[in-house]
Amino acid sequence: MKAGSEKYDRVINLLRKSNPELDSTAGIERDVIRKISEIERSGINFSGVVDFLFGWVYIGWVRRSLIAASVVMVMIFVYQQGVILKRIDKISRQVVVSDKEIIPTIDDKIEKLLMVYKNSGRKFPSKTITISEGQMKELLESVKDLQIKYKDLEELIDGDPELKKMIEKKLTDSNRTKINL
Amino acid sequence: MIDIKLIEECRSGNFNNFRKLVELTSPFAYSVAFRMLGDDDQAKDVVQDTMVAIWQKLQKIKTAEVYKTWTYRIVVNKCYDQMRKKKRNPEFSADDQTWGLISNRISEEPSAALENAETSKIIGILTEKLSHKQKAVFILSDLEGMSNDEVSEITGIGKSAVKANLYHARKTISEKIEKYL
Repeated sequence: MKAGSEKYDRVINLLRKSNPELDSTAGIERDVIRKISEIERSGINFSGVVDFLFGWVYIGWVRRSLIAASVVMVMIFVYQQGVILKRIDKISRQVVVSDKEIIPTIDDKIEKLLMVYKNSGRKFPSKTITISEGQMKELLESVKDLQIKYKDLEELIDGDPELKKMIEKKLTDSNRTKINL
Repeated sequence: MIDIKLIEECRSGNFNNFRKLVELTSPFAYSVAFRMLGDDDQAKDVVQDTMVAIWQKLQKIKTAEVYKTWTYRIVVNKCYDQMRKKKRNPEFSADDQTWGLISNRISEEPSAALENAETSKIIGILTEKLSHKQKAVFILSDLEGMSNDEVSEITGIGKSAVKANLYHARKTISEKIEKYL
């Protein structure tokens, strides 16, 4: 082991003594000055920006990974912004029906019909009459009024079996369609 | 000798002062780069890139000692990058001729310094089985004569890791020397 160690020391001493000689520094000086001049001329120094942001990382592969991750994150951010703007643009092009324009009714079916009417450009299909919004409101008010009156009448008839029987008989006598109350 | 006065003069943007700094820095930067890479052109490229990086960060350097440590750190990191690139094409393989050369050289009394090409070949063979980190620790510690603290600061690894890497590197190289010499 001692002989081995001695050989090791001799080899290491030989290598230590043989300091690699740089033939000339002039070429290096010239190239360094040229590179610096190019960087300063180009204005934006990308490697300078990278060094500023990631200069605290000395391990090459970690620095490259961080740079790659940053680039990917920026790309995802830009893509997301693009998608969001596109969607906003699409929504802004759609017809928006304001709440103020919706007329409250007592029946969902009528409300739906009204929405269809409104969204159809306030026009019914061809070969039908066109009515104004005012007329439509009047019609809906009439239907509502009629429904209330009908309900009262129905309750009155249901409350008096004799009256109910008499009405049914009267309807049958007059050969009209029997209405099942 | 690099002193803080020269660094301060370089901060003013004077290329003449910076040329002087390149002239003083290049030899020791080249020595580490050449021992790490074993290739003259690659070592010169590393020195150039290091000097450009130094120019860009001169404002941060406060003392001459910091400058030297910092320069070594840049050189080592740039060497890691180069070594990763050529990892797939290992250039060195142990042959009888090279071992014969080493044997002859260490038997000479006093042994003459090696040529750059010989140094490159011998270091390449001795360190071919080492990881990049182990190689860097071995070169800085045993060939450049730095303390564990300095090596730790330059490589960015803890002192205990430096000791462990150095132990492993010396053991591997010793075994090789014992086997072939």
